[in-house]
Amino acid sequence: MLTIDKLKEYGANTEDGLGRCIGNEALYLRLVGTVADQKDFDNLNSKIGEGDLQGAFESAHALKGVLGNLSLTPLYEKICEITELLRAKTDTDYSVLLSEIQDLREGLRKLAE
Amino acid sequence: MDFNNVSGFKRRVLIVDDEMINREILGNILGNTYDVFFAENGQEALDVMHGAEKAFSLVLLDLLMPVMDGFEFITKMQQVSEFKHIPVIVMTSEREAEVKSIKLGASDFITKPYHMPEVILARCERIIQLYEDNAIIGLTEKDAVTGLYHRDYFFEYIRQIETHRKSPVDVLAFNIDHFHLVNEMYGRQTGNEVLKLVADKLNEILDDNILIACRTEADTFYVYCDHIDDYSPFISRIKDEFENGTGPAKIRLRAGIYLNADPEIDIEIRFDRAKTACDKIRQDHMTSVAYYSKDLHLRSIYHERLIKDIDEAISNEDFKVYFQPKYDITDVHPKLRSAEALIRWEHPELGMISPGEFIPLFESNGLIQKIDNYVWNKAANKIKEWKDKFGYSVNVSVNVSRIDIFDPVLQDKLKKIIDSNGLDESELMLEITESAYADNAGSLNEVTEKLRASGFKIEMDDFGSGYSSLNMITTIPIDVLKLDMSFIMNMEKDEKSLKLVEIILDIAKFLGVPVVAEGVETKAQLDMLKCMGCQVIQGYYFSKPVPAEEFEKFIIKEIS
Repeated sequence: MLTIDKLKEYGANTEDGLGRCIGNEALYLRLVGTVADQKDFDNLNSKIGEGDLQGAFESAHALKGVLGNLSLTPLYEKICEITELLRAKTDTDYSVLLSEIQDLREGLRKLAE
Repeated sequence: MDFNNVSGFKRRVLIVDDEMINREILGNILGNTYDVFFAENGQEALDVMHGAEKAFSLVLLDLLMPVMDGFEFITKMQQVSEFKHIPVIVMTSEREAEVKSIKLGASDFITKPYHMPEVILARCERIIQLYEDNAIIGLTEKDAVTGLYHRDYFFEYIRQIETHRKSPVDVLAFNIDHFHLVNEMYGRQTGNEVLKLVADKLNEILDDNILIACRTEADTFYVYCDHIDDYSPFISRIKDEFENGTGPAKIRLRAGIYLNADPEIDIEIRFDRAKTACDKIRQDHMTSVAYYSKDLHLRSIYHERLIKDIDEAISNEDFKVYFQPKYDITDVHPKLRSAEALIRWEHPELGMISPGEFIPLFESNGLIQKIDNYVWNKAANKIKEWKDKFGYSVNVSVNVSRIDIFDPVLQDKLKKIIDSNGLDESELMLEITESAYADNAGSLNEVTEKLRASGFKIEMDDFGSGYSSLNMITTIPIDVLKLDMSFIMNMEKDEKSLKLVEIILDIAKFLGVPVVAEGVETKAQLDMLKCMGCQVIQGYYFSKPVPAEEFEKFIIKEIS
């Protein structure tokens, strides 16, 4: 089960995240619980695979907003990094960054178990 | 009173965002205060708005969304008359999107990640209040004549832009010279066309740099621009457009520019500074642009200080009235004829301030009336004092400024001063400067007639310095003509000045009006003037302006 302590250990700034939810812990944990299932993670992978950097940018951008609002700092920071690369349509090997993001996403999923 | 719960209903807020998490967070923040509705994209938002029984007070809008994005939504919403006055707060993490949405008509921004809930709630409340207040007093955010923003919205939007945009900016103020004349000469409709044209051309010419613009005080335009180093190409295009263009009326547009405006200073003050620069060249017809500078700033601070200190200076009697004698030279021995009262300011901290510094300043803002009143009283007191002390009456001339002419109680004020000092009207002579004639000959004629009818003597000051027309001295009733000192300074070396003095003296003689020559410094000047028939001389040749006590020696000499 997802708890504030587990999220703290994960590196989330739970104080800020909870603050945005006006201290409503149940709401915060429920919203965090949906993050790992966000379709945008899959879209990000597939769009980069197709070479559609604009499409990938839009997914990364959407994730950035959500992760920032929940203050899931480790994942947020990686997503910010990839968002900026995609914004500039940087021609680079995204695989390392993508796999780090994937690991952090899975890490989040495990917290809920 | 709970602002958000007036007469028992909650205001409605629509949150438009494709991310469920964002919608839920905002919904949780706003749900206690507002009735919150949700939409996942622009199209759904429009559907919700069309289907709603009651109007929304606010829309919170994400920009990047599938189906219909935020930009398209704003554009579509603006086209529906019942929706276009609903304020929109854009939620974005993109700096560049902010300017684009402001141009489209967004009212504020919320950045992602969101601020703390109190901040978001306060922003929503403030925007709703701003719009409702303005709706109550019938204002819309755009000016109907030009399509530019109204001043209040303009400043509010800039404050919002600046909460998260930190790039350097320039603030520009434009003003149309003598715009009231355009209205008077061509009618209001043409006036409005001119204003619209100015707005359009400023938009067109400043194009890429312009962020937001407004019209204020009828004919002033404020423009907020991305910083650029050199405005001269723009200024010369603007000049071409209006001074040589084919618009409805030829106008001169002046610009005041505050480059790289300090973001720490309140935005209204930054625009005041640009306006100060713009006003500085009001009289200078060769210059169409002025830059705000530190010198100008210090000068305007100095002026503000003088304005602030005037009342105290009057009550502390820091203003000193000096007297300069005028001598009748028709006889072999010059005879003391009268005096002119002149003001000096002995400031306790700033030292002696030249009248050349404070008189134009006070003339421009109307405070000169206080100075004039002060001088009238002091001069009248002295006339009385000297009469009592020496049994000798010295007529004293005092200045009557342009603004006094339009004072409906001018005559009563003067009469009261005369009566309380037991004087005759003819003893306090009134000097009216020549340029006042050019301004409004009609009312001036009326006022001087009335004053003369009640016994005052009118002197026309600085004759020949500005818009003189010889015709003027034949139509306006005056008792004395004062020749501008520039003629006297030039007549020895410049044949034309000499000739003009001769002509003026001839005409004055024909009209039976005595002439006073000001600024006479040398025996040679005096002799020339005497030779041409000038009767009265004022200037350093006899004496500089002196304090009242010192002036007494001229009286003593005269009576002994």
